[in-house]
Amino acid sequence: MMNNKYDVVVIGGGPAGLAAAISAHKAGSAVCLIEREPKLGGILKQCIHDGFGLVQFGEKLSGPEYAERFIKEFEELGITARTSSFVTEITRHSEQRDGDQCFVIKLVSSSGMDTIITESIVLATGCRERTARQVSIHGTRPAGIFTAGSAQNYINLLGQQVARKCVILGSGDIGLIMARRLTLEGAEVLGVYEVLPVPSGLARNIRQCLEDFDIPLHLSTTVTKVFGNERVEGVEIAKVDEDLKPIPGTEERIDCDTLIVSVGLIPENELAESIGVSIDPKTKGPSCDVNYQTDVPGVFSCGNSFHVYDLVDYVTQSGEAAGRSAAEYAKGRLGRAAHFDVVIPPKKAVTPGRIVCIGCPKGCELEVTGSGDDITVKGNSCPKGEAFAVQETLRPMRVLCTSVRTVFPDQPVIAVRTSTEIPKAQLFEAMEIINSFTLDHRAEVGKVIIKDILGSGADVIVTGRVYEQAM
Amino acid sequence: MKNRPDIRKMNIELSRRYYGWVHAKLNENNRSIVVSGKLDNWQDILDACGLCVHKEGGWHVVNHIEFTGAEIPPMHMPAETDDSLDGLKPDVLIIGGGICGSAIARELSRWQLDILLVEKEADLAVQASSRNDGQVHVGVDQKKPNIKLSYLLRGNSMYDKVCEELGVPFERCGQYVAFKEWWSWPLLQMMAFARRSIGVWDTRVIGRKKLYKALPNLNEGYRYGLTNRSAGVVCPYGLTIAYAENAVKNGARVSLNTAVIGMDVLKNGNGKPDERGFAQSKTITAVHTNRGTVYPRLVINAAGVWSDRIAAMGGDEFFSIHPRRGTEAVLDRKAGDLTDTIFSYRDIIAKGEKNTKGGGIIHTVDNNILIGPDAVETYERENYATNRASMDWLFNKQKKSSSKLSERNVITYFTGVRASDFEEDFIVEKGRETDNLLHCAAIQSPGLTSAPALAVDVSHMAVEMLGGAGENQSFDPRRKAIPKLSEMSEAERSELIRENPDYGVIVCRCEEISRGEIIDALSSPICVPTLDGVKRRVRPGMGRCQGGFCGPVVTKIISEFMGEEMSEVTKSGNHSNLTYGRIK
Repeated sequence: MMNNKYDVVVIGGGPAGLAAAISAHKAGSAVCLIEREPKLGGILKQCIHDGFGLVQFGEKLSGPEYAERFIKEFEELGITARTSSFVTEITRHSEQRDGDQCFVIKLVSSSGMDTIITESIVLATGCRERTARQVSIHGTRPAGIFTAGSAQNYINLLGQQVARKCVILGSGDIGLIMARRLTLEGAEVLGVYEVLPVPSGLARNIRQCLEDFDIPLHLSTTVTKVFGNERVEGVEIAKVDEDLKPIPGTEERIDCDTLIVSVGLIPENELAESIGVSIDPKTKGPSCDVNYQTDVPGVFSCGNSFHVYDLVDYVTQSGEAAGRSAAEYAKGRLGRAAHFDVVIPPKKAVTPGRIVCIGCPKGCELEVTGSGDDITVKGNSCPKGEAFAVQETLRPMRVLCTSVRTVFPDQPVIAVRTSTEIPKAQLFEAMEIINSFTLDHRAEVGKVIIKDILGSGADVIVTGRVYEQAM
Repeated sequence: MKNRPDIRKMNIELSRRYYGWVHAKLNENNRSIVVSGKLDNWQDILDACGLCVHKEGGWHVVNHIEFTGAEIPPMHMPAETDDSLDGLKPDVLIIGGGICGSAIARELSRWQLDILLVEKEADLAVQASSRNDGQVHVGVDQKKPNIKLSYLLRGNSMYDKVCEELGVPFERCGQYVAFKEWWSWPLLQMMAFARRSIGVWDTRVIGRKKLYKALPNLNEGYRYGLTNRSAGVVCPYGLTIAYAENAVKNGARVSLNTAVIGMDVLKNGNGKPDERGFAQSKTITAVHTNRGTVYPRLVINAAGVWSDRIAAMGGDEFFSIHPRRGTEAVLDRKAGDLTDTIFSYRDIIAKGEKNTKGGGIIHTVDNNILIGPDAVETYERENYATNRASMDWLFNKQKKSSSKLSERNVITYFTGVRASDFEEDFIVEKGRETDNLLHCAAIQSPGLTSAPALAVDVSHMAVEMLGGAGENQSFDPRRKAIPKLSEMSEAERSELIRENPDYGVIVCRCEEISRGEIIDALSSPICVPTLDGVKRRVRPGMGRCQGGFCGPVVTKIISEFMGEEMSEVTKSGNHSNLTYGRIK
């Protein structure tokens, strides 16, 4: 019989949940983390691109590597994790423990139904993607319409190609990342369309995911219709007016076999709502105080279920804080605090022709003048920006993140990346070498599988976890 | 003569309107009014045929007007061809796997008959039988007794038993129509009386208090309601699949991805008129499909929007289908508490609201809300594309019932096409010129409600046409449904998970569907190993994320179950493959 009483139960084993569980454990609480998938890491498992961890670690890691650091710590601390477990119901009981309230959480897993009792709950349930229908795309409903995350799962976890010729709607980061990923894997990305007059994703992703591959970005344009009965045969695009309504007469048909939609994320708060947590209509996440406590005492919210963050580093920070608060609450030491007023910074437009520094998420716009040895850089906010601009003008360098084939049926591909940057011009050449490699043994994260690729000095290292058991 | 159309008058009117481009002719052999000519506007064609409608004496309009305004798309065909059915000699061939064809197959399986049902799509109930709102109607829109009304009333009363036997959720949730005008009370009493007198026994008029008690989210300002408690909701494709599965269990054969492409019809010159006065001088000797030629003794036409073409193939063209499309929106379960019944409003003095009967705000058995439908004439029989105009129309209209409706809660929307004939009534009869053909055609709303009764009658007619048949002693009317774990008690659920741990592995988070339920769907009597097939049986992908999370996992489960590559898994059959194979 498992112990079924905890101080803090964390729901969701992605970056927010992992951080919350670790910090609550460190604060002295008995913690249990519930994850519905077989493995921890959440959506990071499929985010094989780099750029994670600059704030937390001062390094540019891929998603699986970032997750790995927390999973390792979580495992070393011996925190209880219930994976492959799905929460079906949470109820609040106020009469138990001498008048104190507690929560009863019902779980289902392959070993049956189970109940656990806890003093406090941290909700780290992440978010889901808006779908094509939710942004009013009409026409038919054939195969070949994917949300960006769904396409990412097919490609990066299942090793399946989803597109040959595709249109991407939405310039959010996942859409941009997928544009590059699909291009590297041989698909043709005809264009990225954005209904707003400014791109939604980080400026550095516009630079390294679109501009690097000459993928056009069309602003104030949207997809209005899908054609095709079995597989997508084309889409209709149209310019939009200031109210984001399609302008009649600007419709144009584009032939393609795939439409990828990256049109926003919605915090998942169905569980939160079921226990009476109020949702802020602005963030679509729970209304919280500065301790990440919702208006239901003992229930905390963090990560993308609190509000959608653009960087995983901040997701981790919110998880850490929420976990700490939950531990304090369980000890009876946490009162109510001031309301957490979430400020979502406005999107900024990139000036055409400027180079955007990809060094960090800040995305400084660099103005570069001169050539050869005589280059002046303006607009950078650190020395890295200047170095980047010079490099970018002379010989652009990029980290290549992709996957290799494996012999393991449950993990047909595993994430890899180059240990450092390689010349941008050699990305496709490097892809060919990596694609001819097969991983036939269980490798640790960080293991070098191809040394000194193309004589660039960079090694190809494994970044995804190769699991011992079937997923 | 009342029973004979005045063809002269019709042609005068036709030539006045269409300057000689259109004319009508009577075909006495099958009592049809054949309208032919050439027009470039679809509405003109509808109007021309409409003015030739003569509802007395079983006359039907056949539309032979060539439409020159656009290209009419051909029928959607299965991609595969083989000879898996070649040479079969079934007693009965049912064409069409919608609610009617499936229910007929099941009712016929009560006899010792060799039954073959062919459906050209990759699943049952792909067209009108899934693209509707699942209402089990009560007949408030019927003004006088007709074939439709009698089937509707009988069908409605059969629902409890049929759904119980087939393990299909059915709720008699009742329905309400709200009225604003203070002076409408006596009028409503008269309407209710009239409805009751034609058999809609449960029609009642209620006052404001009861109305708002039943419909707390109804907009303010309504005074009276017309209510029927026998109205219900069912999952329309769930019922169709259940009927077909039960038929298969009782010995019928269902062949999906199978289209009828032609028939051999023999003129036997028999010429002796039957009781209706038709001399059945033709016999179908062979039916050609993409899976070979079959030689049925009897053909049942349940081909929905294509039923007039099937009739023509069988040498018995006496009616025409003019497709009419309708769009509905599905709202998130979160909006499910908007209503636990069906409601709409009616403006007594509103004009010009043609063909928009029925519908409203509809509670579903899965606790979503459906709103719709609209009704738009179209020349495309299988165009299921949605458009913005329909959605705007739906919300504008239904917000007059409840302003709490929000576009924000829409999770998806769909369009269906009704198989209407020009007389707007069901066609349930033996062939007029062909002696081994039986029609169950032009079944539009309330076809779902009527289907249980239609199937019983059609099966009896079929047995009679075959000269009788022995009873199927092993017939079992019951079908065991796939367990729905999320709706079970904790003890029941634990017990099932102990027997099969896959029931504890949740794949679809929005609808709480387990891997075990998905494998059950794939192991069911009619295996449809597509993403949509699984979705329609056990609902992964029906929720608010619309399959964004579970799509890849379900694809993988299907490929493993079928022992095929993931790239072979399709969304809905044919070439609707989801992926292009391994990236490396």
